[in-house]
Amino acid sequence: MNLILPPGVSRARFDQALKAFASVVGSEWVLATDEDRETYLDVYSPGRDTSHAASAAVAPATVEQVQALLKIANDYRIPLWPISRGKNFGYGGAAPRMPGTVMLDMGRMNRIIEVNDQLGYCILEPGVGFFDLWEHLKANKIALQMGIPGNGWGSVVGNALERGFSPAGDHSNNICGLEIVLPNGEVVRTGMGAMGDGKAWPLFKHGFGPSWDQMVVQGNLAIVTKLCLWMKPADEAAISIEIKLPKPSDLQWYVEALAPLRLQGVIDGLVRLTSYQAAATVPTLRSQWHQGTDSIPDDVIAQMMQRMNVGWWNGPLRLAGFSDVCEANLKRVLDRLAKFTRQEFPVTRMRGDAQPGPTTYPLQMVNWYGGRGGHIGYSPVMPADPKLVQEQFERTRRRYQQFGLDYSGTFYIDGRAATNVNLILYSKDDEEQKQRVRQLFEALIKDAREQGYGEYRTHLSYMDDVAATYDFNRNALLKLNERVKDAIDPNGIIAPGRNGIWPKAYRAHRGVL
Amino acid sequence: MKRLLVLLALALPALGLADDLSASQLAGQQVFAHRCGMCHREGGTGTFVLARRLGAAQSLLEQRTDLQPETIRYVVRWGLMNMPRLSRVEVPDPDMNQLVAYLTRLRPTATP
Repeated sequence: MNLILPPGVSRARFDQALKAFASVVGSEWVLATDEDRETYLDVYSPGRDTSHAASAAVAPATVEQVQALLKIANDYRIPLWPISRGKNFGYGGAAPRMPGTVMLDMGRMNRIIEVNDQLGYCILEPGVGFFDLWEHLKANKIALQMGIPGNGWGSVVGNALERGFSPAGDHSNNICGLEIVLPNGEVVRTGMGAMGDGKAWPLFKHGFGPSWDQMVVQGNLAIVTKLCLWMKPADEAAISIEIKLPKPSDLQWYVEALAPLRLQGVIDGLVRLTSYQAAATVPTLRSQWHQGTDSIPDDVIAQMMQRMNVGWWNGPLRLAGFSDVCEANLKRVLDRLAKFTRQEFPVTRMRGDAQPGPTTYPLQMVNWYGGRGGHIGYSPVMPADPKLVQEQFERTRRRYQQFGLDYSGTFYIDGRAATNVNLILYSKDDEEQKQRVRQLFEALIKDAREQGYGEYRTHLSYMDDVAATYDFNRNALLKLNERVKDAIDPNGIIAPGRNGIWPKAYRAHRGVL
Repeated sequence: MKRLLVLLALALPALGLADDLSASQLAGQQVFAHRCGMCHREGGTGTFVLARRLGAAQSLLEQRTDLQPETIRYVVRWGLMNMPRLSRVEVPDPDMNQLVAYLTRLRPTATP
């Protein structure tokens, strides 16, 4: 990737800044070749690579180096895009929102500082991956559980800071205290960590006065250097109920049946239903099922369900905890399901600590079209209301059919709210298809806004569009975010444009791709 | 017996016992385990896709005898098809050299 300079920075000034960065971290940790820039591109981008191309990367190893780099960035007006491990696939990978931004790659800060099984937490640096933490737990026989997302390649810290989730729930809910470096270089610890030697830092979220953890999550006010995360003790037992529902309309009664049990805590985790296609996208190619450029038709869906041995909607539903409680909850769940269907659901009992580890296996879904593939997700949050969920599904599926793309949807029911993850797969080398993907995405944003639903997280290219849908009182929240941004980061050096929040120095870039 | 030998041959590279590895190759094996293994060992997504494209015999990179140093370096940095690229923070140049030493150790002309 050819060099795209940060806005308003000359080549000479850019080179001086890189030299200054090198004086802090060593020249081997300032990466500025064409090949280096290539490694930070969004490999699954639905648009042009140049829209989100970094100019260089710098990789600190200590908090003091982060402080020194921020001072230089302020002096030279160099915008930085912090990443933990850069595996935010489907949302932009490592790439920055604004072309020319310098990557602040935190991957070298990869210490597992503490894992405490007595009180159930860990303290991590950003570079620790799910595989690293998993291996640490196994090697040290620590009986704590991790929430593991579909792609386990990434950073535990980065995922929590993006509000990533797994069937265990929203991982940012488990954040309990951060160490952050502000744009002026000041190091702050949040919550109880605001006391020097605060003993309850990873134990009690709020400390005294306003709570700042969620100001940093999905934001661009500071660089996170340590994150305390709650972990749940391993369960004694687990029960898996295999859910395969044969018809698209089964979604509605299933939500009606189980959302109340989730709300009451009978089900400890998100209730997930995924459409048939997820079973096919990983082990097979689209061409094995259908050649047309239309959305896969119903007769082919029927074949797919039969051959992959899946339903239109699929579970599993997991109950975990003490074995006697699990058995009692299983009876409640099965009794409740029996009120809506005569279908029987196979039950498997297992040890509670038989949790599967991280995997990258689902990533191969991008091979659906057989060549270079990509994926993005449109994921609005809505009420966990049976009728509204069914309508959301039907409206969304009609949009996929309108634009000739294969429907692949998941609903995560969390008692009150439901998150509807809509996966869109495409070929990177089919410009006409990518055009339809973008049209679909824009239609989904518009549809959801009309219903009063908003996305919880989005791809770089849609951050401004999604931020605009949060429009109460003429986007008053976005304006507040930008006032705070300007006060704390007057030169706008940290992650300009992240989630639609633009500092005044770069505000003209809003909406520009 | 033949089946047992095949199984052993498959299992031993993962344990680092099958070959008499040089220090550099041994270090490269660690790089592979931490940076590549999640996709390119048994059951991984990279192994699956390679089996689909090249056949099962070519799917496990640690058993390949035909990998060229330049190919490994290129694929790590530029990706291949759906494989994401790995930066020099994730696989620094010295680690890349060790990785190349490890993955090319079975080439007929390999030198430790």
